[in-house]
Amino acid sequence: MTHRFNASSISPLTETVDRRSFMKVGLGGFASLSLPGLLRLRAESPGENRKEKTAVIMVWKPGGCSHLDTYDPKPNAPAEYRGPFGTIATNVEGLRFTELLPMQAKIADKMTVLRSMRHGSPGHPAGTMRMLSGDTDIRDKSKPRLPDWMSVANYLRSQQGPRESPLPTYVSVKGPGGNYAGPAYLGDAYSPFSVTGDPNQPNFVVPNIGLSDTGEVKHLRRRASLRENLDTLERAFDQAGELEALDEFENQAMSLLTNPQAKIAFDLSQEEDRTRDRYGRNTWGQQLLMARRLVEAGVDVITTSLSGPLCGRVNNWDDHAVNHHVFDALRFRAQAYDQAVSALIEDIYERGLDQRVLVVVTGEFGRTPKINYQPSTGAGNASAPAGTKQPGRDHWPRAFSNIWAGGGIETGRFIGATDKLGEDSIERICSAGDFLATIYHHLGINAAGMTLKDFNGRPTPIIDHGTPIPELIG
Amino acid sequence: MKIPPQSSHQSINNMLRFCLTESQRLFCRRLIFSIGVALLAATPLCGEEVDQPVSFVNDVIPVLTKAGCNMGACHAKAGGGQNGFQLSMLGFEPSQDYESMVKEGHGRRLFLPAPAQSLLLKKATGQTPHGGGTRFSQNSESYQVLKQWIQQGAAYSTGGVPELVSIEIQPKRGVIEKGGQQQLKVLATYSDDSIRDITRLALYESNTEAMSHVTSDGLVKVLDLPGKIAVMVRYQGRMAVFTASVPSGLSVEEMPEPTNFIDEQIFANLKEIGISPSPVCDDATFLRRVTLDIAGRLPSPEEATAFLENTDPDKRNQVIESLLQSPGYADYFASKWTPLLKNRRDAASDITANFAFHAWIRDSLLANVPYDQFVRELLAATGTVIGNPPVAWYKRVKDPKEQIEDVAQLFLGVRMQCAQCHHHPFERWSQDDYYSLTAFFTQVGRKPTATAGEDLIFHKRGAATAKNPNSGEVLKPVALGDDIGEILPDEDPRLRLADWMSSESNPYFAKALVNRYWKHFFKRALIEPEDDIRDTNPPTNPELMAALEDHFISSGFDLKELVRVITCSKTYQLSATPHKNNLVDRQNYSRFYPRRLQAEVLLDAVDNMTGTTTSFANLPPGTRAIALPDNSYNNSSAFLRVFGRPDSASVCECERVGTSSLAQSLHLINSNEIKSKLAASNGRAKLLTSDSRPAEEKITELYLVAFTRKPRADELKTALEYLNEPLLDSKGKPIEKTKAAFQNYQDLIWALMNTKEFLFNH
Repeated sequence: MTHRFNASSISPLTETVDRRSFMKVGLGGFASLSLPGLLRLRAESPGENRKEKTAVIMVWKPGGCSHLDTYDPKPNAPAEYRGPFGTIATNVEGLRFTELLPMQAKIADKMTVLRSMRHGSPGHPAGTMRMLSGDTDIRDKSKPRLPDWMSVANYLRSQQGPRESPLPTYVSVKGPGGNYAGPAYLGDAYSPFSVTGDPNQPNFVVPNIGLSDTGEVKHLRRRASLRENLDTLERAFDQAGELEALDEFENQAMSLLTNPQAKIAFDLSQEEDRTRDRYGRNTWGQQLLMARRLVEAGVDVITTSLSGPLCGRVNNWDDHAVNHHVFDALRFRAQAYDQAVSALIEDIYERGLDQRVLVVVTGEFGRTPKINYQPSTGAGNASAPAGTKQPGRDHWPRAFSNIWAGGGIETGRFIGATDKLGEDSIERICSAGDFLATIYHHLGINAAGMTLKDFNGRPTPIIDHGTPIPELIG
Repeated sequence: MKIPPQSSHQSINNMLRFCLTESQRLFCRRLIFSIGVALLAATPLCGEEVDQPVSFVNDVIPVLTKAGCNMGACHAKAGGGQNGFQLSMLGFEPSQDYESMVKEGHGRRLFLPAPAQSLLLKKATGQTPHGGGTRFSQNSESYQVLKQWIQQGAAYSTGGVPELVSIEIQPKRGVIEKGGQQQLKVLATYSDDSIRDITRLALYESNTEAMSHVTSDGLVKVLDLPGKIAVMVRYQGRMAVFTASVPSGLSVEEMPEPTNFIDEQIFANLKEIGISPSPVCDDATFLRRVTLDIAGRLPSPEEATAFLENTDPDKRNQVIESLLQSPGYADYFASKWTPLLKNRRDAASDITANFAFHAWIRDSLLANVPYDQFVRELLAATGTVIGNPPVAWYKRVKDPKEQIEDVAQLFLGVRMQCAQCHHHPFERWSQDDYYSLTAFFTQVGRKPTATAGEDLIFHKRGAATAKNPNSGEVLKPVALGDDIGEILPDEDPRLRLADWMSSESNPYFAKALVNRYWKHFFKRALIEPEDDIRDTNPPTNPELMAALEDHFISSGFDLKELVRVITCSKTYQLSATPHKNNLVDRQNYSRFYPRRLQAEVLLDAVDNMTGTTTSFANLPPGTRAIALPDNSYNNSSAFLRVFGRPDSASVCECERVGTSSLAQSLHLINSNEIKSKLAASNGRAKLLTSDSRPAEEKITELYLVAFTRKPRADELKTALEYLNEPLLDSKGKPIEKTKAAFQNYQDLIWALMNTKEFLFNH
C-alpha cells in the first residue's frame, strides 16, 4: 500500500500558487508558524491520510552514460556501433545488460529499465536543464531559466507547513548544481543543503550542524525568540524574494543546529561495517549510503552525482574520444557504479522503503551509438596519451536509458525500445516532460496543471508537456 | 550552498579552442550558444516569384539561419560543425558556407540531378535521420527555396545580386495594453533600392522575457506587468529593436516635487506608464541608506542623533556633501573598482603591487580625479609599479586580447569577446573590429625588473598593427569602427584610444559609467546587465540615460558630482515600502529596491555592533574590511568568503554575490567568529554590562548603531523584559547578575544583528 497524496489532495495544487502568500514563515521548529493557505486547503479536504511523505533519490551521471554499453545493448549491431562488451542475462526474463553490470543483473527484478528516453537538447547545459527543469530551449544557457524539479519539490513541500524532520527538505550529496541546475526564480532559499567532501574519508564530517550541548541549544533558542520579536521590518517590499529566502535559511540553520537527529543523519559511522562494504568503500558507494541514511531521516529530495576521479580522467561521463577511451572509461567505473547502485536498490527494498522512496538513475542524455575515433587530448585514467586515436561516443539525446526502483512501482520490467542500432527511441518514447511528471507524481504533485509565479508574478508551468509514465507510477 | 560544476566539458572546450584564455572561453561558451532558434513558418515569402533566380546569400542563408542550422550548438559549432558539416555562425561567412555545402562532404550534400535527393534537404526534413531533428517540412517555403536553388544549379552568385543594405522594423515604438499584442513587420532594403518583407525570415528575441514574448513570426505578446519592453530583431547581421511602453491603465495623481532632472525623467516615465511612486523616506532611513551607499558604513549613533535633531531643511544635502568629502567614500568606491581592475594576489610577493595599485585607485577617488583622466592614467600607464602603480593592471591583464576585452566591457560596456572567433551574434562587431582594437595594445613593451614578477611597462616604438588570424589581414588601430587617423611610430597608441574614449561624442564611455553607478544606488541598471550596452539592448528610460550622460560629461567626468546628483534626487530618497499600485514594479524606480549589505560592509557593521575589530594580515589594527586592498583576505576570512566578496578574477561586477544562502545564516547565527566578537573582553556587550546608564539608554544606543533610529515603545519593552528576565544555569541556580547581564547584552546584540533591518540597506 502506498501512502501517497491522493487525487483530492493534489487538486488544490493545480491552481497557481502564490509564493508571496507564504512569506510569514518564522523560525520553524520551535517558534509559532503561520499555517500556510495550502495546508489549510488540504486539511479541509476530508479522508486525507498523509502519514508517510514520499521521497526521491536521484543518482545523476553527469555527462551522459552510453546506453548501448549498459542497459540497452545491441549485440547484433555492426562493430562500429556495438562496442566490445558482451551481454549477460538478468534475473528478469528477456532483459539483458552488458557484462559491465553483473550485480544489477542479479537484482533486475527490483527495477524497471526505461529504454526510450528522448529529447532534443544536445549540449550539457541544455540537456541537463531539459531533464531537471523541463526547459525545452535547446540552446545552451549560462544558467537555468526555470527551477529544477528538486527546487520545485522543495518549494512545494515547504508550503505544507512545519516539517517533522529537523533535516532540510532537499539535500544535495554532491548532486548536480553549479550553472546547470538550481532554483532560478524560486530563489536561493530553495537551493539544496549541500554536502561536499568525500564521505568515504575517515575524517569526513558535515560542518556547522548539530550542537551537542543542550544548554547551548536552549540559549540559542532564547536568543532566537528575542530576534523574532525584534525582526519587524516591513516585508512588503520583498518583491525579489530576498527576505523570504533569508527567513528560510535562518529556519533551516536553526533546525540543523538545535536538533541532534541532524548530526546523526549525516554520520556514516553509525552504519554497520558490512553495510558500508556492501555499498563499496569508495566515494560513490558512501554517497549512495548517505542518500539512504538521509531518506530514512526524513529528507524528501536527495540528489547525488557520480562524478570525480572514479569516472576517469575528466571526472565525468562525457566520453568523447578527446576525453576518454569510452570503453576503458566504462570499464574503469563499472565496478564502483554497479556495486553502489545495486546496493542502494537492494537496501531500499530490504528496509521497506520501496513504497515511499523512488530511486532514479539517469544522466542528461545517452551517447552516440556509432563509435567515433579521435585523438586523445591527454593521458590519464581511461585515456591514452595526447594524440593517440581512441574510440569515443558523443552526445546523444535522441535515445537513452534510465532505471527506476522503489516508489511502489511494478518492477522487473523493461519498457520502451530503441531501433536496432540504438539510434532512435521507437517504442513508448518518453520525453523529459514525461520523466519529470513521473517524479512529480511520486511526490504527490500533479505537474499537468501546476504553475508557479516567477519573479514578476507570471504563472509559469512546472513542466512544458508530459504525463507520468504509466508503467513507472505506483 | 551550490557546488561548482563537476563536469569539465572537454568537448565544449575543444570546440572553443580558438578562445585562448579561460575568461574568453567562458564568454564564448555563454554567448556562442545563446543564439536564437526559430522554426520557420510554412508561409510563402512575400513577393517571391517562383521562377526568379534564387540567391545563395539573400535567400538560402536566411532560410538556414531561420531554421537554426547555423547556431553555435549545431553546424556553426567551432572545429568542424556538428557531424563534420561546418557552417559559419548565423551565416556571417556565406562564401565559407557555400564551400561546405557544395564542395565538401564529397559533394553529397547537394544532388543536382535530383535536388530532392540532396542530403541537405533529406536531413532537414527528417527523411534521413538527423541529430537536429526535422527543421522544416517538404511543404514549406524554406524547402522550396533550397530545392529551387539546387535546381537552378546551386550557384554562389547569379550575377547582379543586390546586397542587403539595412533592415527596418515597423513600428519602431509603440504603446501596448497589458495582455495586448503587436505584429511587427520587418523590411530589408537592398543596394538596388528594392525592399523586401522579411518578417517571417527574421529572428526575434524579447529582451524583457518576464514582460513580453515574441513569436517566430514577429507577433509581440505583452503580459500584465507595466513598464518598458524591447524586442530585438536580427537578419543577416543587421539588427533592429522595437520598444514599447505597457501602461498600468491607472492614472497617477500625486508626484513629489522633482529636485533635479533625474526626478523629472523618472516621474515622467511613471506618469506615462501609470505607476505612482512611494513617498519620500523618513530621515533615519535616508541617513542609513545614503551613508551605506556613499561611504559603505553605518552612521555612528552620534551622527544619527545629530541628524535626527537637525531642523535645517537642507540637512540631507549637507550629509551627502560631508560623506563625499569623507575617506569612507574613497574606501568604498575603491572596493568597487579594485576587483574589476583585477588587483589580485596570486603570490605572496604580489603584495607590493597590490597595495600600491589599491592606494592609487583610492587616492584618485579621494582627490576626485576626473574619470577620463583616471582611465587615461590606467590605460596608458608606463614605468614600474612603484613609480606608477596603475601599471599593475598590465601585470594581471597581459595579452592585448584580454586588454581590449576588459577595456571594452569595463569602460565602454561593450562585450567584444564573441568577435574574437566570429561575428558578434547580437552586435555589429566583426573579427576585424576586434583585432583592430587589439592593435592599440600591440606596442606595449615589458621588461623584467629587479623585483621578480614586476615588469617595466613601456611604449615600444613602431607601427601598431594586429593580424586577423582568419583573414590574415594586417589591421591598423581602429576604435570600434571609428577611424582615429594615422598614429606615428613614436606615439603611444593607447593615448589615442584614451582620447577617443573620453571625447564628448563617444557613445559608450560616459554611458557605461553612469549606468554602472546608477546600479550601485538603485540595484537595477538602466541597461541590464550593466556592462552589455548595445543598440539592441535599450535602456528602460532612454531620456534619463541621455540626461545622465550629458550631466556627467558637462561636469568634466566628475564622479562625486554624479553621486551627488543621484543621491540628492527624490527618486533615490523614495521609501522602499510599496503601495498597492507599485508593488509589482521592478524596473521603473517607483520605490527604493532594498539589497543585502555587501560582504565587507556587513563585516564592518558587525564589528560596529559588537564593538570589535577584525584583524587583517599586514594591515594596521583597526583597518576596516571595506579598505582591504586585494582579494587575498577572502582566504583568511570565512565571513568575506561566505558573503560573496569577489576574487578579482572577472571584469564583471556579477562576480560579487549578493544573494543569501544557508551557509551565511549558519555563519551569522552560530559561527565561532560571531560568538567571539559578541563575547570580546573589550567589546560592546562587555562595556554595556559595566555601563551605569539606565538600560533604556543602552538599548537606544544599540538601535541607533544598528538601524540609525531609536527603538519604538514596543521594541524597548521587549528588550527590557529580556534583559530583566532572571537567568538560571544548567542546574537551575540563578546566574550571577553581571554574568547574566553580559549574556543578555550579547543576546540583544546578536538578535539585532540577525534582523533583516540590519542585514539590508532599505
